[in-house]
Amino acid sequence: MNVIIVGAGNLGSSLALKLSDLGHRITVIEKNSKAVSLLPRGRVDSGAITVIHRDGATGPAMMEAGITSADVFIAATGNDSLNGLAAQRAKTIFRVEKVMTIVRDEGARILYESLGISTINKAALASDRLVSVLTEEA
Amino acid sequence: MYLVIVGGGKVGASLASSLINEGHEVFVLDNNPDVVASLQRELGMIATIGEAASIRALQDAGASRAGVIIATTNSDADNLAACQLAKTNFDVARTIAIANSPENAELFDRAGVDLVVSATDLVLANLATALPAHPLIRLMPVADRSQELVAIKLPSAGTAIGRTLSEIRLPYGTKVVIMITSTGQSKPPDSDAIIEAEDEIIALSPANSTAELWELLTELR
Repeated sequence: MNVIIVGAGNLGSSLALKLSDLGHRITVIEKNSKAVSLLPRGRVDSGAITVIHRDGATGPAMMEAGITSADVFIAATGNDSLNGLAAQRAKTIFRVEKVMTIVRDEGARILYESLGISTINKAALASDRLVSVLTEEA
Repeated sequence: MYLVIVGGGKVGASLASSLINEGHEVFVLDNNPDVVASLQRELGMIATIGEAASIRALQDAGASRAGVIIATTNSDADNLAACQLAKTNFDVARTIAIANSPENAELFDRAGVDLVVSATDLVLANLATALPAHPLIRLMPVADRSQELVAIKLPSAGTAIGRTLSEIRLPYGTKVVIMITSTGQSKPPDSDAIIEAEDEIIALSPANSTAELWELLTELR
């Protein structure tokens, strides 16, 4: 599948590597060239991961990333609102079939879920895991 | 049990609230006065201002009588330092830390943090279940990375199932090395070998056509 990921931070880079391992064709949009260095070098060199150096929430950047033939779009920057904007553009303007976003705020998760975007709350996953570990021990 | 949480952000605050609801005694340390004020408003006088990696602040938070310390800041350096200081200076029995960067998870483990939770791995595990996955494993790069040895696990209802190798137009330059059935039997890659459901195919593939090969072999009916 063709997968577009916005954001090449810790999360975006790990996602890119994992989904590339699964055989998907990955395009990462990241404006910060420092963050791009987190991407696995070998995959970028071999073309398994394509990098677009632009602001990922904009239409032209998405076009350059090949959004019209994308099967999956994942917004994975560290900014909830930016993820929400990018995900909504991918869904409503470009009509990507599967749109997902990662957020850190529960209010944001509820909002984007209500708009039909699969949303994962990263902070809640971490705190839930910690609570379950501590509860099992007690 | 008395627990000290370092970092009162989204993870720390939600953890504190859950633990308090379960009847634990909790204290939160955060260097941001606004964060501390909001925690005090919502949960009572259970938070104080202080740097994560400071012995003085840990002391103020009551680390010497804490059974567990949980470091949840968004700085991995602070999380590690807080756990190490708690262990060496206050004999805290159990240290738990969030690793924001996946590469730090192993380091934390080796550095003696008792339990490491990788936030990124949690998201990956969650996200992977939402995407279809017929694994492609890149076994090793060969010929100066221009080719690679890959293993592809076939779906049980793919378009390739029931056909012979010669009937499938593999990408140019792809060479199937061996096929392994779901019961572990190996089949030589003869042109008349039939591809069966859940076979694993090991192939030598030009690096730039691996994705095409994967799509061809895992396309669903």
